[in-house]
Amino acid sequence: MMGRDLSFLLPELFLAGTAMLMIVAEMLRAPRLGMTIGLAGLAAATLLTLPVLDAETTVFGGTYRIDTLSGWAKLVLLPGTALALLMVRAEIGGRLREGSVHALIVMVTLGALMLAGAGDMMLVVLGVVLTGLGSFALVAWPRDDAATEAAMKFLIFGAVTGGVMTYGLTFWFGGTGSTLFADLGVLTGRPLILAAGLTALIVGLGYKGALVPFHFWVPDAYQGAPVSIAAYLSVVTKAAAFFALTQALRDLPREAGWPMALGLIAAVTMTFGYLAALVQTNLVRLLAYSSIAQSGYFLLAVVALGASEMALPALVTFAAAYAAMNLGAFAVVLVAGRELPDLEGFGRAHPWIGLSMVAFLLSLTGIPPLFGFFGKLGLFAAAIDAGHLWLAVIGIVNSVLGLGVYLRLVVPMYAAPGRRRAVRVPLPLFAVLAITLAATLGAGIWPGLFLR
Amino acid sequence: MIWLALTLMAPFGAGIAILALRRQPAALALAGSALGLAGALGLFAATARGDRIAAALPFLPGFPARLEASPLTATFALMVATVAVAVLIHAAGYMARDPGRVRFFGIMTLFVTAMELLVLSGDWITLLGAWEMIGFASWLLIGFWHHRPAVPEAALRAFLYTRSADLGLYLAVFLLIGATGSPEIAAASALTGPPALIAGLLLLLAAAGKSAQPPFQEWLMRAMASPTPVSALLHSATLVAAGAILLIRAAPMLPDAVLVAVGIVGGFGAVITGLMALAERDLKRLLAASTASQHGFMLITIAAGAPVAAVLHLVAHAAIKSALFLGAGIFQHDRNATTLDALAGAGRARPGVFAGFALAALALAGLPPMAAWFSKEAILAATWNSPLAPWLVPLALAGALLSGAYMGRALRVLWSGPAERAQTPVPFMAVGLWGLVILAVTLGPAFGPLEAMLGATIEDIPPFLPVLGLAVAAGGAALGWLLPPRRLLGPFLGPAERGFGIASALETLSARSALTLAGAVARLETEILAATLAAGRTGTRVAAATCRIDRDRIDGAIFALTRGLRASGQGLRRLQSGLIHRELALSMIGILLLIGVLLIAPLSF
Repeated sequence: MMGRDLSFLLPELFLAGTAMLMIVAEMLRAPRLGMTIGLAGLAAATLLTLPVLDAETTVFGGTYRIDTLSGWAKLVLLPGTALALLMVRAEIGGRLREGSVHALIVMVTLGALMLAGAGDMMLVVLGVVLTGLGSFALVAWPRDDAATEAAMKFLIFGAVTGGVMTYGLTFWFGGTGSTLFADLGVLTGRPLILAAGLTALIVGLGYKGALVPFHFWVPDAYQGAPVSIAAYLSVVTKAAAFFALTQALRDLPREAGWPMALGLIAAVTMTFGYLAALVQTNLVRLLAYSSIAQSGYFLLAVVALGASEMALPALVTFAAAYAAMNLGAFAVVLVAGRELPDLEGFGRAHPWIGLSMVAFLLSLTGIPPLFGFFGKLGLFAAAIDAGHLWLAVIGIVNSVLGLGVYLRLVVPMYAAPGRRRAVRVPLPLFAVLAITLAATLGAGIWPGLFLR
Repeated sequence: MIWLALTLMAPFGAGIAILALRRQPAALALAGSALGLAGALGLFAATARGDRIAAALPFLPGFPARLEASPLTATFALMVATVAVAVLIHAAGYMARDPGRVRFFGIMTLFVTAMELLVLSGDWITLLGAWEMIGFASWLLIGFWHHRPAVPEAALRAFLYTRSADLGLYLAVFLLIGATGSPEIAAASALTGPPALIAGLLLLLAAAGKSAQPPFQEWLMRAMASPTPVSALLHSATLVAAGAILLIRAAPMLPDAVLVAVGIVGGFGAVITGLMALAERDLKRLLAASTASQHGFMLITIAAGAPVAAVLHLVAHAAIKSALFLGAGIFQHDRNATTLDALAGAGRARPGVFAGFALAALALAGLPPMAAWFSKEAILAATWNSPLAPWLVPLALAGALLSGAYMGRALRVLWSGPAERAQTPVPFMAVGLWGLVILAVTLGPAFGPLEAMLGATIEDIPPFLPVLGLAVAAGGAALGWLLPPRRLLGPFLGPAERGFGIASALETLSARSALTLAGAVARLETEILAATLAAGRTGTRVAAATCRIDRDRIDGAIFALTRGLRASGQGLRRLQSGLIHRELALSMIGILLLIGVLLIAPLSF
């Protein structure tokens, strides 16, 4: 039995080994070697996921799920992490303790994989803690006041929400005598216990996924952290939170009321995120609020769980689209600068990077034929199919608001005369831009190739 | 199949080639659009013979992208391709010295491709994609001279207005696919009952946005900031026409109640925007208002249950309106202005161009034997025979009267005034203009066979009706020529000049409120937080009260946490994060609300 279980866990085991080796490389003061090991490990883990992609099973007594969702989640999270590693290399390459950042990122991704495959409450708690501890350190890396403050805020929010989550989940354990999500069915008809656990889960994962009103740490943390770390947090840990939420809620009856609660949170999150983004002048903060709004869109798929067959494909597609376009947008910020005025004339001075930024932003808005359009199309379809027409309406209305947010960036890029500045596009960053752009465009033009 | 590929791929290839090679943009664009026209002609000829050409391309899993050429869609494709060629010929002259030529022709050809994709699409998802693409391309084109003042705003307005109305299309498409179980547009015609009603109204919303019917007309008026060839293309066969095309294609599924709504929107749209055109003081804005008015006619016709007559008017209007814009563009080129005051006499300075402009204007007014006379006759016949005749016929006649009046006025202004003969010849621009004028004048007799091909029967009408229509058109033109709008409109002049306040009302309702809200959210972290903190205290008091009842349960835990964190928040002041406790208080309120929703929501099942 043990051997079978471990064989299904090959990607995770491989990743854990990779992280260990990366720490060793850091001890040897060989950050390049560390990063190479990291990229190779991520690539190997991705490849090892492919054979078990269609599996539908659990390991270790049902606590860890090897299913279509967790498989596809790995295919989004692992390449996303690799791109983030490249961005880190481009941003802080050659500086002190660079290798620890690489190793920490891989460690956090391991936690993200656990979240995406969680079949058990304790695994969710473990995943939240594992992603959280690494993330605090990553945010604090620059060691200046802003970063320290941001990491502190991040930590305190994590402590509070984590505490609420752990406390609330004990109610579920008390009610079912088991920590498995699969056993939650017996709680039907006990609304108080269901509500306690659900609150706990939504608080803990809502914090990780940057849902309103647990989002307050996001703008500060993204602004204080290196841009590449902000990009990483906005994609990998966030998507993992939604995968975990999906794994937990799949086994709960819709009658428990969570679709309504999550629907309201989704509506508030989308609207709040875009409205707040409208008035930002710092690019990183703007992208932070925009990523909060996108979290609301993620929820459209979660809300449709159990009522629409499109929910899971929509979630995975949107996660992939979001990973490509958001990482790409952050990569451009890395090149252009952190303030809105830095973008003035940027598109004219650097046509190719400018065009890729336009593609990422329009994809975030959901304009065809870009990947983001199909991502959102799937979300809306799933929500409507599940009978949440009102939510889809709010989503579409908000996408008009989003257009305003993103066009605010596009217009100055071309409206002002180009000031040619020397910009540094090191090879790793070039690779990130090329890959994210290819995914954003390619999957938009031939979505059939990617989504089978 | 080959014709289908040629129609779509020739302009697309030209666009890509222009953007990649960055030289000879005009020649490449002309070659691409000419090949596209050949493809559209081939499609039209094939469908006229009775062939149905369809293709399903691999696209989304389970949802292939369907393209289909029926007589109807092939007619649209031919119309788009023809206007595109004429407009691009004109643009070769108009844009000859513009430094952004490459970008201009590249986007124009891609825009034409997206429009061809829209008219030829056989399923809703492809249509939706093409719909968004033309919206985006039009944003690029309207904002082409983005360094000029007010241009970026006009482009943004156009995009945001039409995209808000696109909401209707998104919802309608999902509803139609859900209700019929098929993404094919043809399958929707079988739909009945409430889904058809709701989907129909949503489609009407989308169409009204794109076709600039009130209250959305403002974006079209402002979009005049674009280069004139862009206006000529947007107004005639592409962007604005997309709304009418959508409704024409959806016409078989529209239930009676929706038709009434279409009639109301179109009828009042035709009259209101007609009045605005009459009161307008800028030639291009006058033409823009008239575009909205003429699309109102098409909506009236669809409401009367005769979409084929609407197709005829769409085709006639495409040729006429692009000719008018190209003419206006030449005058603008001469005088470097578009206000009617500045253009006074510009027509006499160029009699050849003025003759073409006048022919197109009279055609739009509906004078025989030109194209719009035939289509307006078909419209009158359709409205006369429809059950809604008692109010559709007067609205149609009022719209026709106004068409005559504002075109008459424009001609009068262009003719009378100081004129010295213009010296520079404008060969490209004149060729583009006259090509379209000839079409506008001679297209009429072709409408009979076209009607038969589209499967409509010519209905009997009382003989006085065409006479009445002619009298109204000629009378309107004469009134417009003879009387200034001040006399014609009387007390309506002021409101009509201000667009009847519709635009500003819409702004106040939507844009302003959104911006105010955004400002409020911006202040959230500073000012409003103080107020929220009070609410937070209430929340903690509630928690404390609960705590007394139920000492060591969850509420107590939250209470303790909040208190503890406030203390730690105080300690963290040195790190400048003094606000964190407030934010946590907000999160706690959120948690309490969440618990409330989770407790109440199950009761509704």
